[in-house]
Amino acid sequence: MSAEAGEHAIEIDGLWNTVGAGQVLHRNLDLHVRRDEVMTLVGGSGSGKTQLLRVILGLKRPVAGSVRVFGVSWDDPGFKKVRDARRRMGMLFQNGALFSALTVFDNVAFPLRERGGLSEKKIRAIVHAKLSQVELDPQHGNLLPANLSGGMVKRVALARALALAPDLLVLDEPTAGLDPDRSERFVQLIKRLRADHRFAVLMVTHDLDTLYELADRVAVLGDQHIIACGTLEEVQHLPHPFVRNFFGGDRGRRALAQGEAAA
Amino acid sequence: MRVRAYGEWTFNGLKARREEILRRLAELREQPQDRIAWDLTRIADLDDAGALWLARALRGAQQVEVSPQHGEILAHVGRGLRVSDVLARPVDPLLAVVATGEAAMRFGVHLRDATALLGQIVLDAAALVRRPRDVPLREFSAGMFRAGVTALPVTMLVGFLVGIVLTYLSALQLKRYGADLLVINIVGVGVVRELGPMLASIIAAGRSGSAITAQLGVMRVTEEIEALAVMGVSVTTRLVLPKVLALAIALPLVAFCTDLAALAGAMLVSRFTLGIAPAAFLEALPRAVEVVNFWIGIGKSAAFGFAVAFVACHYGLRVLPNTESLAAGVTRSVVAAITCVIILDAIFAILLRNVG
Repeated sequence: MSAEAGEHAIEIDGLWNTVGAGQVLHRNLDLHVRRDEVMTLVGGSGSGKTQLLRVILGLKRPVAGSVRVFGVSWDDPGFKKVRDARRRMGMLFQNGALFSALTVFDNVAFPLRERGGLSEKKIRAIVHAKLSQVELDPQHGNLLPANLSGGMVKRVALARALALAPDLLVLDEPTAGLDPDRSERFVQLIKRLRADHRFAVLMVTHDLDTLYELADRVAVLGDQHIIACGTLEEVQHLPHPFVRNFFGGDRGRRALAQGEAAA
Repeated sequence: MRVRAYGEWTFNGLKARREEILRRLAELREQPQDRIAWDLTRIADLDDAGALWLARALRGAQQVEVSPQHGEILAHVGRGLRVSDVLARPVDPLLAVVATGEAAMRFGVHLRDATALLGQIVLDAAALVRRPRDVPLREFSAGMFRAGVTALPVTMLVGFLVGIVLTYLSALQLKRYGADLLVINIVGVGVVRELGPMLASIIAAGRSGSAITAQLGVMRVTEEIEALAVMGVSVTTRLVLPKVLALAIALPLVAFCTDLAALAGAMLVSRFTLGIAPAAFLEALPRAVEVVNFWIGIGKSAAFGFAVAFVACHYGLRVLPNTESLAAGVTRSVVAAITCVIILDAIFAILLRNVG
């Protein structure tokens, strides 16, 4: 295990966040993600899940409150401390966000080259290992992102996110845009990689199948804060309209049945 | 009065008797609505166009009979009409004041963000001095090649043609007063001090500036910039600084080549219109144009290059994730870059009025 259990990968306390002309999006929001768990963030459209991810990733500065990733706030003065915390985190964007001018190989090699201190030979070996982990052949390395299918883009982006062997993986809608078969294969891939490497995961998803398959705990974002956070069993029977609609609909019951059957 | 509608109330069905139906509906609108009973049950087919005509006529109607399959579309269109009535506000008399205020606010935001970007560039450049290993040499050399080498054919061609036109027009005037040789002074100083740098930077704004804005804009749309930031890579160090430095260094070189091409054009025209031999032209040129003019031109080009790339990066980083914003960003970037170049040129002209 790369990090000691019991500590937190992400600690958000008293977060206030606004959008547009001062419209409050998050009000006094708390969320703690342990270093050994898969935390899934769910919430209705427009509830601010993506904005919360942006704050966690340091792409947006909150109005108030504290956001710490591996105990480090993005505003901390120590350049090295912040950089090291960033290197312990991998991000899978919803649409991959691969560098369109670089080949698959160079995309995966990018964080390794940025890290420095590695010879090209070592980088080549690591990139091929990462491509193999996400079930891609070495010859895929020469392709440009424009020549990849949606599923391949996700896998290359996952390989890039895992390049520095992160302790925390942030996934934004990992199965969005994939057909059910590819979606299932991608979820299994993440599950297998996590079993091998034991990284923490923070995942935003609308897909109940993915949620039931991967999540250890679920945080429900609604009414500008986390209205519930706990295991699936604890959260899904809460008497909140969003929770009732999200888990209690036909799709929810079907996914639950499948999840229980799989378990 | 009982009004019965029947037949096809669709866009195509109504087309044939459009005038007549509109006239009849207008007449009915004149009547007190509580005295009209509408029977719409015989309508065979109803679409949005037909429903819109009917909904307008039915405003305020008390008695309406409608078949169940048409009731919903009629209700929706009626609701849409009411919403558009509410939204159609009269023109605000203070609209011009509000628009001016908003424009001033937008300008203020641009100024604030540009200042922040400039500050970040300075900080990143200082950090690179401390950590030279992080200097993005590949991006810098790629920028030099794209903004410099690939721009040469077009800028030199334009310079050559402008040199021809300028010399030809000057020669026509100077010939009248027998001051033929002054053409070397006029064209020489004009090209080396003003036209060379201006032509090079205006073409750079159109070519390199638009390309920089589009590249950064697309990277923003595809979240590549966010991906860089998440990896802890400074966007200004990696993307902005190399582009700004590359253009600030490449543009003086491009301007120098443009000067040469323009002077070649001038020499050619002088030979055929004024009979000044190329050797005489080249001999008179250093005497006519003091070397300080050349250095002013080169210094101005560096400043113009910095301004063009800086403005292009500023607009590129502001692109929102939609195609409209990308197109608008590129257009604004080119216009703002050219405006900046002209403003800077005016400032240089005033500051250096006693030099050369």
